[in-house]
Amino acid sequence: MIFGDIFLELSIRNVRLNFLRSLLAAIGIVIGVVAITSIGIMGANMTLSVTAELSESGNVIMITPDSSGGGGGGFPGGMGGGSSSDDEDEYIDKTQLRKIKQIATSGDNLVVPLYTTSENIDVSGQEGRATIYGIDINLVPDLVEVEEGSMPLSTAGVLVGSTLAERYDLKVGSRIQVGDEEVEDDDDIPQFTVRVTGILEEKGMSSDLNTDSAIVMDESLYTGHFGGEYEYDQVNIIAGDINDIKQLEEDLDYALNYREDEVLIQDSGSMLERISETLGTMTSFMSAIGAISLLVAAVSIFNVMMMSVTERVKEIGILRSIGTRRSEVRKMFLYESMLLGVIGAGIGAVASFIGGYILTYGMIGTTEYFFMPESLVYIPMGMFTGIVICILSGVYPAYRASCLDPIEALRAE
Amino acid sequence: MTDKPVIKLENVTKVYSLPTDDVIALDNINLDIMKGEFVAIMGTSGSGKSTLLNQIGCLDVPTSGNLYIDGRNVRDLNDNELTDLRRDKIGYIFQNFNLIPLLDLSENVEYPMLLKNKKRDETGYPKKLLEMVGLDETRIRHRPNEISGGQRQRVAIARALVNDPTILLCDEPTGNLDSKTSAQIMDMISGLNREGRTVVMVTHEPFIAKYAERTIVMEDGRIVS
Ligand SMILES: Nc1ncnc2c1ncn2[C@@H]1O[C@H](COP(=O)(O)OP(=O)(O)OP(=O)(O)O)[C@@H](O)[C@H]1O
Ligand SMILES: [Mg+2]
Repeated sequence: MIFGDIFLELSIRNVRLNFLRSLLAAIGIVIGVVAITSIGIMGANMTLSVTAELSESGNVIMITPDSSGGGGGGFPGGMGGGSSSDDEDEYIDKTQLRKIKQIATSGDNLVVPLYTTSENIDVSGQEGRATIYGIDINLVPDLVEVEEGSMPLSTAGVLVGSTLAERYDLKVGSRIQVGDEEVEDDDDIPQFTVRVTGILEEKGMSSDLNTDSAIVMDESLYTGHFGGEYEYDQVNIIAGDINDIKQLEEDLDYALNYREDEVLIQDSGSMLERISETLGTMTSFMSAIGAISLLVAAVSIFNVMMMSVTERVKEIGILRSIGTRRSEVRKMFLYESMLLGVIGAGIGAVASFIGGYILTYGMIGTTEYFFMPESLVYIPMGMFTGIVICILSGVYPAYRASCLDPIEALRAE
Repeated sequence: MTDKPVIKLENVTKVYSLPTDDVIALDNINLDIMKGEFVAIMGTSGSGKSTLLNQIGCLDVPTSGNLYIDGRNVRDLNDNELTDLRRDKIGYIFQNFNLIPLLDLSENVEYPMLLKNKKRDETGYPKKLLEMVGLDETRIRHRPNEISGGQRQRVAIARALVNDPTILLCDEPTGNLDSKTSAQIMDMISGLNREGRTVVMVTHEPFIAKYAERTIVMEDGRIVS
């Protein structure tokens, strides 16, 4: 008898006696555990990979116009754009920029005002859309390395990100048509041609500047075609000392937002928090859906336990009549449902390890973070949940068993 | 023998309430059983013998009247106390043995001991009991459904004795045994009585009742002699 506990031993024997039935009930738990665990693992891996990429640009403060006066989310770099409709300030103006520069130049900080939009492009017939950045070209070397080619010298020269270059098969010297072929309304930009002088090094996902699939041009070229001179979409401050960031943000907030919220001041840290939070919410939501399968499993465990109690009424009568207490009968049935849980959760743990690995690889493309504790912790958590649910499903059947009257139970056949 | 009753029934009545009507299984029973006595209960089928034994065995509480075991009124005991009384004080040999199907024979005998001591036996007493009741050593790892009725009866006796109860209750202990085995079993029970245990035995066979010192006859839930 294992651990000398006769009730555990009795439960084990009963599970073995009804092996197939017990296994089938446990499969429900297996599925439930796999569902919540692999979703959890995937969410954790997503968060981990986003965190790793974003934290590389940890010393950047982003200042964007506060369009809503509330919590606007998303990446400012990609979508900010000039296509705003209402009459409020949707840009950072000259005065604001001057204030920013005043504050930022107190330390060893680099201020990068930039324009950004999303526009149609056409590379020798292949049409698409790309993010366009307008940045003082002299600042570019401080932001991202040119991998191939050189900085633009002529006015029509641009740099392109590596992803974009790959997608459109762009080389140094390639030409890109930017804008709309037919100008129909005010928002349309007459088409113009630029030439690629350099391809930028891959930068990875970042919150301040996403150059990988963008075209980077000098601000004069940008405003020449898109207009809006001194109406910046975003100002980045690259702090010389990462410890200055909080102070800088406070000073900026005081200088720019003292009357009303004119600009949104973010750094990658707060950005990261928001993204992790969003990912976390998403993961919990998906896990909740996975939890429904656990609920179904709970019903099947409950069913099997009720069957077990009904089948063993006579045995319960025997146990009670020779001096087994109610609590001991309860314990025996709780052990049985726990055993089903342990079997289900055990198989589920192995399956979700494999399933989580496949899912992570499929959805994120890397299993670099799979073996980190933040990711694997979902396996014991899933197992624990599965076992607890099984035990809870056994509570009522166990209670029913313990309430049987010994004489009545003995008379059962 | 002393004159202190170890089992005392005072106006005990047991009524089974059925949807259609009430069955009076025991009707105002008064009975004293002294320590060390050997009492046989006889009577026709349905006269209330098993019901009476179940009251004494604390499997049930009388509908009215009082039952004292060792001077304690079972009405004053809660479910756990009643259960512990069954476990420690009373050895019950059931008419149909009531062995635990999931346990082998030696585990069946050890079970009440395990309940009491909360740990596995180290004394070897269950094994000695199985030897005493004459069960073949080679069979003790078998399950109850793998042995004969006579062997089950022996295991049931061994189990009833394992916690050294002062009261031994037997419901038709020879009910489905041949006469030779019956005699062996009865000799065993008489021996246990001589050791000082109080024995109450239900039987419908007069020659089995002869082993007892006192015979009670029941009819329609009443003691008639
Ligand atoms: N649980 C019960 N519910 C309803 N009636 C019952 C119950 N148990 C016993 N009875 C009734 O009580 C009466 C006495 O039953 P009991 O089993 O005590 O008889 P008995 O003398 O042991 O009979 P036998 O010799 O056949 O074993 C019978 O009429 C029986 O039908
Ligand atoms: Mg009977």
